[in-house]
Amino acid sequence: MQRSPNDLSQLQATMRAIEVACSSIQMMVNRAEAEATILSLCQSPQPYQACQYILENSQMPNARFQAATAIRDAAIRDYCLCYVMQRASSPEGYVQAKVSAAAAQLMKRGWLEFSAAEKETFLSEVKQATLGIHGADVQFIGIKLMESLVSEFSLSTSTAMGLPAEFHDQCQKSMELEYLKTFYCWARDAASSVTNKILDSDSPVPETKVCTAALRLMLQILNWDFRYSKNGLESAKGKKNVFSAQVGNDNNLSRRSECTIVQPGPVWHDVLISSGHIGWLLSFYGALRQKFSCEGFWLDCPLAVSARKLIVQFCSLKGNIFHSDIGQMQENHLLQLLSGIMQWINPPDEVSKAIESGKSESEMLDGCRALLSIATVTTPVVFDQLLKSISPFGTLTLLSALMCEVLKVLMVRNAEEETWSWVARDLLLDTWTALLVSIESGGETGLLPAVGRNAASNVFSLIVESELKAASASAFSDDMASDYFQASASAMDERLSSYALIGRASIDITIPLLTNLFNERVARLHQGRGITDPTVTLEELYSMLLIIGHVLADEGEGETPLVPKAIQTQHVASGESEKHPVVVLSSSILNFAKQSLDSEMRASIFSPRLMEAITWFLARWSSTYLMPSEETGESNSGSCYDNNHMVQSSVSSKAFLIFGEHNQGKSVLDLVVHIATTTLVSYPGEKDLQALTCYHLLHALVRRRNVCVHLVGLDSWRRLANAFANERLLFTLYSAHQRSLAQTLVVSASGIKNPEASNQYVRDLMCHMTNYLMELSSKNDLKIVAHQPDVILLVSCLLERLRGAARATEPRMQKAIYEMGSTVMNSILIFLEVYKHEFAVVYLLLKFVVDWVDGQIIYLEAQETAGVVNFCMRLLQLYSSHNIGKISLSISSSLLSEAKTEKYKDLRALLQLLANLCSKDLVDFSSDSPETPGTNISQVVYFGLCIVIPLISLDLLKYPKLCHDFFSLLSHLLEVYPEMVAQLNDEAFSHVLGTLDFGLHHQDMEVVDMCLRALKALASYHYKETTVGKVGLGTRAAGSKDQNGQMSEGIFGRFLRTLLHLVLFEDYSTDLVSAAADALLPLILCEQSLYQRLGNELIERQVNPAFKSRLANALQCLTSSNQLSFTLDRMNYQRFRKNLINFLVEVRGFLRTIKILVLFPVLFVCKSVLQTSRIQDPGRILFEKIYPKQVK
Amino acid sequence: GFGSSVEAAMSDEEHHFEGADSGASLTYPQQAGTIRKNGYIVIKNRPCKVVEVSTSKTGKHGHAKCHFVGIDIFSGKKLEDIVPSSHNCDVPHVNRTDYQLIDISEDGFVSLLTENGNTKDDLRLPTDDNLLSQIKDGFAEGKDLVVTIMSSMGEEQICALKDIGPKS
Repeated sequence: MQRSPNDLSQLQATMRAIEVACSSIQMMVNRAEAEATILSLCQSPQPYQACQYILENSQMPNARFQAATAIRDAAIRDYCLCYVMQRASSPEGYVQAKVSAAAAQLMKRGWLEFSAAEKETFLSEVKQATLGIHGADVQFIGIKLMESLVSEFSLSTSTAMGLPAEFHDQCQKSMELEYLKTFYCWARDAASSVTNKILDSDSPVPETKVCTAALRLMLQILNWDFRYSKNGLESAKGKKNVFSAQVGNDNNLSRRSECTIVQPGPVWHDVLISSGHIGWLLSFYGALRQKFSCEGFWLDCPLAVSARKLIVQFCSLKGNIFHSDIGQMQENHLLQLLSGIMQWINPPDEVSKAIESGKSESEMLDGCRALLSIATVTTPVVFDQLLKSISPFGTLTLLSALMCEVLKVLMVRNAEEETWSWVARDLLLDTWTALLVSIESGGETGLLPAVGRNAASNVFSLIVESELKAASASAFSDDMASDYFQASASAMDERLSSYALIGRASIDITIPLLTNLFNERVARLHQGRGITDPTVTLEELYSMLLIIGHVLADEGEGETPLVPKAIQTQHVASGESEKHPVVVLSSSILNFAKQSLDSEMRASIFSPRLMEAITWFLARWSSTYLMPSEETGESNSGSCYDNNHMVQSSVSSKAFLIFGEHNQGKSVLDLVVHIATTTLVSYPGEKDLQALTCYHLLHALVRRRNVCVHLVGLDSWRRLANAFANERLLFTLYSAHQRSLAQTLVVSASGIKNPEASNQYVRDLMCHMTNYLMELSSKNDLKIVAHQPDVILLVSCLLERLRGAARATEPRMQKAIYEMGSTVMNSILIFLEVYKHEFAVVYLLLKFVVDWVDGQIIYLEAQETAGVVNFCMRLLQLYSSHNIGKISLSISSSLLSEAKTEKYKDLRALLQLLANLCSKDLVDFSSDSPETPGTNISQVVYFGLCIVIPLISLDLLKYPKLCHDFFSLLSHLLEVYPEMVAQLNDEAFSHVLGTLDFGLHHQDMEVVDMCLRALKALASYHYKETTVGKVGLGTRAAGSKDQNGQMSEGIFGRFLRTLLHLVLFEDYSTDLVSAAADALLPLILCEQSLYQRLGNELIERQVNPAFKSRLANALQCLTSSNQLSFTLDRMNYQRFRKNLINFLVEVRGFLRTIKILVLFPVLFVCKSVLQTSRIQDPGRILFEKIYPKQVK
Repeated sequence: GFGSSVEAAMSDEEHHFEGADSGASLTYPQQAGTIRKNGYIVIKNRPCKVVEVSTSKTGKHGHAKCHFVGIDIFSGKKLEDIVPSSHNCDVPHVNRTDYQLIDISEDGFVSLLTENGNTKDDLRLPTDDNLLSQIKDGFAEGKDLVVTIMSSMGEEQICALKDIGPKS
């Protein structure tokens, strides 16, 4: 800093003048004069020295305050603004960027305090700059500064300032409503002021930089998340919902490409629409393009890129910026843009040829992006019409031609890496998706216009061609990633869903095409059998099955999917059901799949991978077409369509009834079961294939009751069940698959009409397994044989099967499943003892019991309950006796960590078991009357918890799921049965309290919340009991004397301290305040005198008298305002929540500050000074002056 | 429907039952596809605990193969193997027995009390310092310790330690 020969006396004089002025203001004399004095300080060109002097020497806080303010203002004005403006031509762009970001931050900090005039002063300098009066460099800086401001004021890009969210909201609102449009106009004016220079000059001029920056700023402003100006009157919230609903809709088919919709609202109409602004932009870009047409690199220069981005952004303009004239204005707007964009993408073949021979692809890709944006904001009909007024073909035809061109390039190149054609294909696919998804979701429009359907079918046939080509090319590649069916299918899923939409747009063409291609390949396989290598054809069929599966049916995601609307509603001139293209294609595939039943064919054609695709297809297809429940089919097709559609849809639905229950449905179902069995039996070790069969296909079949009815009657199903129960072969399945199979088979029993017969079905299925386990457990030499690997495998498989059956519990089969479990209860305890060192078996034992109890407990009668509960307790005790105090020893750290994970899994299962037992008290379907003396569930669960708690180390609580389960069980117990706490023994009691205390300080908010709920329950129980003269928690609450005669505090006292400390001094999410209030109120009521004492201590500790009185007042209000009373009803809790929030707002700031000040004075000051003056050198100097020692 | 006894179906297992009294095999064959994580497997003639299983195919339309990552239960070394899914692997017979720790001798052996009152004195202490101190410290503190001895394929080692309260 410049050292002027300023003498001390002058500084003193200034200080005195300011001090006088401050006290005049305080005493309300000579106000105007005093203000002028202070203003003069602020406006003096170099106030730093004077301010610094005042800060260091004045005894008057007000004067110091004014000095600090003056420094800040000066810093913004001189330091940032002048700095950047004066050094506009300096080459260090990043320094300028940083400084202008700092200026923006400083502006924002003071934004809500600055007067309009102050902002005006600042902004007028910016405006001057952007007008270009001081030359291009300054102009550029001015624009950059606006860019920083806009980004600082936008919520998504603002820097954290440690200020409340509300502050940021207000700044955003102020920016959006008062300045954004102005900035846009300045940017626009800046851009247009330099266009001539750029166009006239033959060499690069500095104005190019200005223009680029201006275009970028305009783009940035259009990207603003408009909230307040969308609609003049409507509240921001309401509008936002409309918007998010739309986003949700788009998410149905997740997009690869970003496309944000721009909705700035009617106030922007004049600037963006009616001013001819877009015409200017388009012709500017067109002129530049013309001028630089011979320089290929030009397309990628920043100016061209930003101009195109802005044009694309204009394509997404939507909402009431356009007047409500049935879309005419928006159509004109889009047409104007499209006619400019046409030269980027049309004619497609020439464009692609040019790119292939070296031209930059960026313009073409931007053209695709523009199409995507337009498709997103229009309907298919409007989209197609746009181009018709200026060209002989519609937009859909152009889109189709473009897509075909891209696919051709893709096929020729067949490149693995991402080339331009990949990107273009994804963009165009998204465009199709945007257009078609509105039809599929039954949106405002009906079908695609005929020309569109033509276009779609052209595109679709090329898509299939290119996919087949890709499949055959990759048939021999040993790409690990694509090996696993699931992974490859889901990776392809997005693309396939887009294909499906396109394919469904004209099923009368696309589906016969698929049928032909499929049959061709099947014929090729047969002809070449034993002669040629079928791999390429297999891979093509694999790929086709995936595509066809997507076109024909939707993913159910657990629900029963209906026939896709596009397929249901399209009129197909076929007449008979058998000739409906969908029926023909389905039958072709079913016939092909049927051949897999023949062992020779299987060996030569049906590779595991092909079977995976078949199984996947059958699962997907069956859910939609196989035995559709007739009622739902009709009611659905009728409800949402007009008469015309209904007629058509019923034609199609009728065609699909060919696979219904009264038609071919049964034989197809039989075929599917045969194929499923084949994959399980004839593909040994093909785990992935079998997983698809078990989890996809068979689950899909038993999901619907009406299918189950037919399943249980089929011989093929009975044979599968029989093989499962009695034959050795299915024990070679992966054991988790066996669990799933058991579940599926048991669920199918729900298709048997007579409940007794359902139960018998389950008994027949499972009895040999339970018998075997019982026999084994009673062997004399069990201890010796049990550890043989083959026995372990068998026991594991049987337990998995039992578990699968247990998971299938439904009221109808409940009895048989109860018997199944109760007969093996004793064996389970024996196995738990024998296998105590065999984690894999112990875990299965526990999981079986968990699932069995989960399914059964709510149905059990009193006596059964007693038996089951007793069994569970013995299980817990046994487990505990084996594991308590046990330490695994191994030199391998990974084996040790495996052992820890195993322990975690066991404990989690035990907690789940306890939680399942708890549910008996919540839901009970038993026939016992409430008076019947039953098991005291609460006692049992507490008892169980006391067994489990010592096994849970703090280390294990680091597993988030275990921690969560543990605390939710604990808080549930304390909430529902607080009285039990009084009955706990000392050790268990201190365990419970210790964990609560631990939980209160946990970083997971949910855990803290659960602990607070538990505390609330305990304290309110005690308070309510004691107010009616009962003991409540008795000695637990009162505290007790330990062996040394020391009085230890009762639990509520302890927790009152902990909680007060937490809410006042510690870091926590504000979402927890309500829960904390709910716990704090009963704690205060339980320990009123302690609370008074703590409050007084807190007040006494304050040194600052102002804070002291504020704190005293706040504490007073906390317990007295809002008519708070001494009852614990809902109303009172509500009041106290409000009080606590107000209290914390009032005091937490200074309480915490003071605490920090006491602990780390230097750090605190350092931090706060640096925060407010990160780049601002005066601040840093000031800081160094005040605290020279600490800095060193 | 269902009728035939499970005994017939499981006759093979039954066979092992009877013959398993003294000379139980060191290893048993098991289909690779059925071996799960946390199970055991023999890799390069060493008994291993399986810590990772993944499947892949031999060529796109070939058969599945399993890729196992195992950790030698004695040496802690990591071993890997790839086996066609439908082929058999060897699974080691791993036994674990609890003994009460009576004494730790100077020459690095432990003295153990078996269930039927005999002593077993032929087991060496581990050489790893960390493990050694865990055992020695507990013993020195006068706790009653039960040690679990893991044995497999002719080798044995202490694999766990359990504190059953202060020495009576």
